[in-house]
Amino acid sequence: MFSLRLALQSVIKEKWMSLLSMLSIGVMLFILVSVAVIVYNVEKLTARLPERLTVMVILKDGVTSEENKAVLAAIKAEPTVKVVTFVSKEKALDELRRSLKKDDFILKGFADNPLFDSFDVKIKSEGVRVEDVKRLIQKIKSMKAVDDVEYGEALMDSVYALKSGLRALGLSIGIVFVCSVTFICYTTVKILFYRHKEEIEVYKLLGATRWFVRAPFFIEGSIIGIFGGVMGSGMLMGFYYYFLRKLVADIPMFAFMSIPVQFMYMLPAVGMLLGLGGSVLALGRLKY
Amino acid sequence: MRGVPRVARQMIELENVSKTYGGHAALSNVSLKVERGDMAFITGPSGAGKTTLFKLLYLAEKPDEGTITIAGCNAADLKSSSIPLVRRNIGVVFQDFKLLNNKTVYDNIALTLRIRGFMEREIKERVHSVLKMVNLRHKVDNYPLTLSGGEQQRITIARSIVGEPTVMLADEPTGNLDEENEKEIMRIFKQINTKGTTILIATHNRALYKNTARKVFFLEGGILKGEEE
Ligand SMILES: Nc1ncnc2c1ncn2[C@@H]1O[C@H](COP(=O)(O)OP(=O)(O)OP(=O)(O)O)[C@@H](O)[C@H]1O
Ligand SMILES: [Mg+2]
Repeated sequence: MFSLRLALQSVIKEKWMSLLSMLSIGVMLFILVSVAVIVYNVEKLTARLPERLTVMVILKDGVTSEENKAVLAAIKAEPTVKVVTFVSKEKALDELRRSLKKDDFILKGFADNPLFDSFDVKIKSEGVRVEDVKRLIQKIKSMKAVDDVEYGEALMDSVYALKSGLRALGLSIGIVFVCSVTFICYTTVKILFYRHKEEIEVYKLLGATRWFVRAPFFIEGSIIGIFGGVMGSGMLMGFYYYFLRKLVADIPMFAFMSIPVQFMYMLPAVGMLLGLGGSVLALGRLKY
Repeated sequence: MRGVPRVARQMIELENVSKTYGGHAALSNVSLKVERGDMAFITGPSGAGKTTLFKLLYLAEKPDEGTITIAGCNAADLKSSSIPLVRRNIGVVFQDFKLLNNKTVYDNIALTLRIRGFMEREIKERVHSVLKMVNLRHKVDNYPLTLSGGEQQRITIARSIVGEPTVMLADEPTGNLDEENEKEIMRIFKQINTKGTTILIATHNRALYKNTARKVFFLEGGILKGEEE
């Protein structure tokens, strides 16, 4: 209790230094969480990518219905496949007409149906990796009745490359900023400690234990971390309300962006842990 | 057996203790004993090594040679984690006071008890009672630097007795006091001594010990020149 009071007094007395540390921690945690938000959103966006991709299996002309059934059964048996639907060339033409609406005069130029029979293959949404999809496509391609397979290969590849790059980047930025925040707490607590050195000397002479001397500094580091985290959350909230909302209003494409509420709560907790860690490091080697 | 504290008659004991500061011997081969419940004096000219001896006793310094026993503990055997606990049994009147200038008189004295984890109610009671003993109750909310030298000294004395230590080390406790206050302080020391606290007082002031039938150690140039009952 007394330690808590000492710590609070010290934070208030050294308010400018404390505030400055909190602010820098706040900014850093904000950057950290922004990176986390970006990674989170990209993950969320791409998690269902295989599901969204429809693999179109184009059948050769003049395939018999037996062959047709055999292909269907083979594709259905694949563990990664969710649904397979047969699309006859008539149905495809219908759909095309409907989507063209008034412009369907274009199709009048064709005497015959220019389209082909095909299967629409939908991939399962859970636990399907790109490699699995690729393997599936290779397999289907090798079937005799299959003319070609179309899917968003280029898109998928680049999205996955982007994703793993982003993950690595996010992780390294994360590590750098976690270290920086810890370092700020470390320095702040160390400075505070040296400012109170004479006082601590007296404490020791009056019989204060190691713990009694250190506790206020641990608490102080944690307080600075918590408030840094609160400031970071505040900035995130400000960012959300003043920037992201406007952005979404102007460019609806960004509507998918969301900031998980947990991030707001997590930030002060993360700040506290880092603050505590920093102060433990700061006092760790000292003989007091 | 080593490590098992014998219930010693000696509250303070030095055996062949030497302490050197950068080649200069502050204490050379000093041996002395103060028995439990005694009040003893240590005197000698400035620079004789009195404060150094006290520092060894309250475990702020380590001797180069010799053994030190204080409050039943061998100083060399103490783990660093038990030093604070031993210090809680030792009340020290520091020659330079060591008051915290950014804390009130009340907080300075209360600190001793807060460190020991006392409840605030008992702290208040005890602080007021020791302040009354040194006649400074009205200065409870003052800061040390607003007090006279003698007043600061009396606050230091109040702080050293508030924890009811088993041993008291008073380094020049009346150095800044007039005769009236000096008598008052000696009266307090005698009072807590009769309650069982062992007291060692370092002083230049012959008046403090000349009429007492107490042990007096004479120290000069770090050498114990004699002792007198
Ligand atoms: N930390 C130190 N470093 C170097 N020399 C020291 C140190 N402390 C004490 N000394 C020296 O040791 C000698 C004894 O000092 P000490 O303070 O014990 O004397 P004292 O008897 O208390 O004197 P006084 O009556 O003036 O207080 C002195 O010569 C002093 O200069
Ligand atoms: Mg001295």
